[in-house]
Amino acid sequence: MNRDGEGTALEAVGLGKRYRRRRGPVLQDCSFHLPAGRICALVGPNGTGKSTLLALAAGLIRPTEGTLKVLGTTPARARERFAYVAQAKPLPPQLTVAATLRLGAELNRARWDREAAERIAYGPVYANPYADPYGEESGSAYGDMHGEAAADPVPGVGPGVGPNLVPGVVREGGLHPRDRIRSLSGGQRTRVALALAFGKRPELMLLDEPMADLDPLARRELLGALLGEAAEHGTTIVMSSHVVAELEGVCDHLFLMGGGRIRLGGDPEQLLAAHTLLTGPARDLSGHTVVESHGTGRQLTALIRTDGPNSPPTDGWETAAPSLEELLLAHLRNPEAPDLFTEETGGTGTADMTDVTDVTDVTGEENARP
Amino acid sequence: MTTLLASTRPAPVRVPGAALGLARSVVRLHRSALWFWLLLMVALAATMLWAYGPGYGTASADVQDQCRRDIEACHFPGGPWLSRYSTAVALTTLVVAFLPLLVAAWAGAALVGRELENGTAHLAWTQSVSPARWLAAKLAVPALLVSVGTALLIPLHRLMWDGGENLLWTDWFDAYGFRSNGTVAVAYALCGLAVGVLAGLVTGRTLPALGVAVAVMFAITHLGDQYRPSMWPTVTVTGAASLSLPDKALQLDRGVITDEGVRIGNNMACTTADSSVADLRSCLAHNDLADVWATYHPQSHFWPLQLTETGIVLAVAALAATASFVLLRRRTAASGAAV
Repeated sequence: MNRDGEGTALEAVGLGKRYRRRRGPVLQDCSFHLPAGRICALVGPNGTGKSTLLALAAGLIRPTEGTLKVLGTTPARARERFAYVAQAKPLPPQLTVAATLRLGAELNRARWDREAAERIAYGPVYANPYADPYGEESGSAYGDMHGEAAADPVPGVGPGVGPNLVPGVVREGGLHPRDRIRSLSGGQRTRVALALAFGKRPELMLLDEPMADLDPLARRELLGALLGEAAEHGTTIVMSSHVVAELEGVCDHLFLMGGGRIRLGGDPEQLLAAHTLLTGPARDLSGHTVVESHGTGRQLTALIRTDGPNSPPTDGWETAAPSLEELLLAHLRNPEAPDLFTEETGGTGTADMTDVTDVTDVTGEENARP
Repeated sequence: MTTLLASTRPAPVRVPGAALGLARSVVRLHRSALWFWLLLMVALAATMLWAYGPGYGTASADVQDQCRRDIEACHFPGGPWLSRYSTAVALTTLVVAFLPLLVAAWAGAALVGRELENGTAHLAWTQSVSPARWLAAKLAVPALLVSVGTALLIPLHRLMWDGGENLLWTDWFDAYGFRSNGTVAVAYALCGLAVGVLAGLVTGRTLPALGVAVAVMFAITHLGDQYRPSMWPTVTVTGAASLSLPDKALQLDRGVITDEGVRIGNNMACTTADSSVADLRSCLAHNDLADVWATYHPQSHFWPLQLTETGIVLAVAALAATASFVLLRRRTAASGAAV
């Protein structure tokens, strides 16, 4: 994986987006930085601007203020190098799956990888059950474009997977090339949309709710394919979701959106390490950055940042590491909690905490009162 | 799972002719429209050829036959063949004259509106195709097919129209006939395409785009019909010549000049005088008038009128196309421009 820090996948400075028909801005003063090669989860409640942020990165809309750089340049200039899958998974309903992939090839002439696209669309094994998936309309352009790649019989079949899959059997979950898009279910459309993204062989994948419609089996398979792509080619993957558990353990970078900006950003492990869950008799927590606290009688449970001078407090508190879900929910419930970005500095890999806003004491006291 | 992808990445092959791929993608997405267009062209061409040849022949033979048997039929020609022939001419003329509206409706609804509505336009923009090039393809490929199609229909329609002169009293200045008989047919069709695309981009939805495109295109063709006579200088004659205008002239106005030299339009005084100069003189003197005049377009103005109107309509089309590009550029990161 590309973790040398030489590349930046996304970089936003003061990004803002306001839609005409809405009163408030969807994004406001949003600044963040995503190094290349990460698998990034973009989480947050509905309507916090996840889709807007991804659409801005994909160059589909223009920001009302600020700048967003994609792969070191403008979204328009980077167009060939990223793939984008919209939340609604729009595909031309009148086309067949095979025709949709041909469309992908036509619109991405310079970088289309037919094999990668078909592996996603028709199932994980390339041994295609259909002798000629392109039917009677087999385009001559493909023969020219993909010469050897297309003739290669069974590339990419991992050991232990190939033998028990007999060519000629319809793959579980895979699609038939002649299926019409309009006849597909939501999850099947997601598969085709992802196939287009894989076929482009992008350096950056912007996926808006990619897993929402998928059954657990397909989710496993496609998530595996995404991880494989990232591992093999150093592809940066940005996936949005409002289900935190869906992406836990998969991502090595996390953005929590709220209030039109990124509120938490960084490696999930470092983010977790930067917080401590305290339990103990109710007492003053001033001096600490308290994200959330709630008490039951004289007992107090609080999630605090372990960034203060004497953090975590040792006097009489029971400390525990919070789970990622607890951490995110605590921040979502408390919009006042200061933003936090953990960033890797140089090659050492040590965490460097940056409090963006410095209102710790005020919020700390307010939150400390049960 | 990752091992599934442990294939060697094929080196990306640089293929020239990305424009060809883009053009092919437009055809692929609108294959049914292409088939419909081809079928419509074939049906129109076949009907017009039938009307020009066997239709006219049979109808005219039938009319002559009836005239021989019944003197009244000579003055009021009718019969099943004539009605079939005239229906074929009227229907094809109507369809050709209103093709621009059909093109506008399709371009607004299917070509652009629906793609923006269901997001497939955005799908294209996030492949390796910029919105500007996507729009260029959306305009260029249909423009080619629309131009070729209408350009082929024009000579056929002219054949049919001119051939029907004796039976149907067709005029060169008839609004529908004029729109189907020359270069304006292509210009209006292209204008319909551009207006439809702009309507699709403005509304971003299928049905509103269809409505707006058809309404605007209807207004444009109506304005064309309305102001057509002013698109080329008219001919004005006075005296006896104004009473007997050349054959097939489009008379626009006629009137009188009083003894005080005041020109009065839309006045039919003395028009009943026969064209003998003496008769006209006495009529003028009797009414205290100095002269009569008439303004008209002779048939020789057909092509100047056609070409001027073609130019104007193409300019409108270019304006609509430019507006589409500007609109798209303002909305999206259309080209390499910084945000």
